[in-house]
Amino acid sequence: MLVGMVRRCLIVDDNERFLAVARTSLERDGLEVVGTATTVADALDKTDRLRPDVVLVDIALGAESGFDLTRQLVERHPDLRARVVLISTRREDDYADLIALSPAAGFVWKAQLSAGAVRELVPEAS
Amino acid sequence: MTTRWLRGLLAGAVGVAAVTAVVALLEPHLPAMSLLVLYLLAVLPVAVRWGAGPAAVVSVVSTVLFGHLFLPSSRRWWFAEMDNAAAIGVFLVTAVVVGNLAARLRRAAEHSARLSAEQAALRRVATQVAREVPPEEVFATVVDEVGRLLGADSTAIERREPDGRRTVVARSGSAPAGADQLVIPVVAGGRTWGALTVLRASFPAGAEGRLAEFGEIVAIAVANAESRTQLAASRARVIAASDATRRRLERDLHDGAQQRLVSLALELRQVESAVPPEVRADLDRMAGDLTEALDELRELSRGIHPVILSEGGLGPALRTIARRAGVPVELDVRTASRFPEPVEVAAYYVVSEAVTNTTKHAGATHLQVTLDAAGGALTLRVRDDGAGGADPARGSGLTGLRDRVEALGGTIHVTSPPGAGTAIDVSLPV
Repeated sequence: MLVGMVRRCLIVDDNERFLAVARTSLERDGLEVVGTATTVADALDKTDRLRPDVVLVDIALGAESGFDLTRQLVERHPDLRARVVLISTRREDDYADLIALSPAAGFVWKAQLSAGAVRELVPEAS
Repeated sequence: MTTRWLRGLLAGAVGVAAVTAVVALLEPHLPAMSLLVLYLLAVLPVAVRWGAGPAAVVSVVSTVLFGHLFLPSSRRWWFAEMDNAAAIGVFLVTAVVVGNLAARLRRAAEHSARLSAEQAALRRVATQVAREVPPEEVFATVVDEVGRLLGADSTAIERREPDGRRTVVARSGSAPAGADQLVIPVVAGGRTWGALTVLRASFPAGAEGRLAEFGEIVAIAVANAESRTQLAASRARVIAASDATRRRLERDLHDGAQQRLVSLALELRQVESAVPPEVRADLDRMAGDLTEALDELRELSRGIHPVILSEGGLGPALRTIARRAGVPVELDVRTASRFPEPVEVAAYYVVSEAVTNTTKHAGATHLQVTLDAAGGALTLRVRDDGAGGADPARGSGLTGLRDRVEALGGTIHVTSPPGAGTAIDVSLPV
């Protein structure tokens, strides 16, 4: 494994089943899931405490918005700019402009989530 | 004595003087008695113009004058002669009867003229009501027409508010002090909505009856406007409810089936890497199928509700439409504001429908979409360079758009002359 490669990740999603499946999938490929969060407040709190290399943010967080969370994360932790990866059950095309306008590194469709896909968007740890 | 009498008698005097002069001229050459009939020329105009009463007086004055001036008499009084008395009696009866007839004719003509003026006024107001112009315009027309018909000093339409106060919604002229007042209640939908009030120094007989029809027409205009408002509100509710249902459906699909299938696809990929290579190909095919199914489901829910609209507003949503369109779309979005959801949804569907129609039917090479917000309205213009000839009256998607836009109090104009492209202009109050 390369030095400086992203290692520690936080997943924010309001679906427990997906959190469990994603954790297994990512950890098998060598991405350590240091925590999971289901709400914006929870996510901000855990980011402060756990200092992940990358944050995976579901766009549809119940009534809350993953885009809002992304903006807040980057405001609080400027080093997270281009280290947030948006994920969704919907396809990238459904959000196209909004993803491009957000400070996130990019988008991965949930069905294709893998450590490789994350590393393609965020190659190196800070 | 009224002015009518005074004027009648004055005119009669002038007439009698003129006829007397003529008779004096002719009298040396003709038998005097044969000239008596000439006085009808003085009596008739008076009867026609000022009525039978003054005409009768003029008849009597004529005979007395005629007798004095032109009838030679051996006795002290000219009418004591039998011949004279008979001839004068016949003249008097004739003059009064003819005068009466003439006056009646005149009244009938007046009545008919008034009726046709009234009918014309009612027709003008009714046409406005039928054309569904705003009630304020109907009110303004009614006060003008009634004011002119009755020669009123002031005509007004008042609305009675729920708290009992009265609001003048239309007025013509200004109220003089001490005038007579005529009040016609306006009853719409079974309750007293307000009144039509006319002020004048004094009213001719039957004025109230003539006003009643105007009161009824105002009531119809009011009832129409109220039911139109209710209809628009209920239309807006139906559309809002259906939009809410679609949004929920999209959300349920997302939170339910799609979420499950996505997790399943992810799990399948995990299993895939753990199984022997001979099974792997099958699993790979299954994962592929699952992805396709997910895409189909996604396409379906996208058609149910565009999530980007609620998430990002009109700008990003219209750009998505433009990107997916089958023809190049030149998009000019001049506002980044968010608007009430029904407004955004309406504008989105207008563009979406226009793009679909243009792609399917118009054979256009290019489409222009402009969105702007100014002066309390969101305006949208869509132009294509296609075949034109789209008929908004026929049951196309345009009808649904019209319903949507009008339910929000907006307007939509579609012009599509054959060969000159299609233009859609929408304005939505915000």
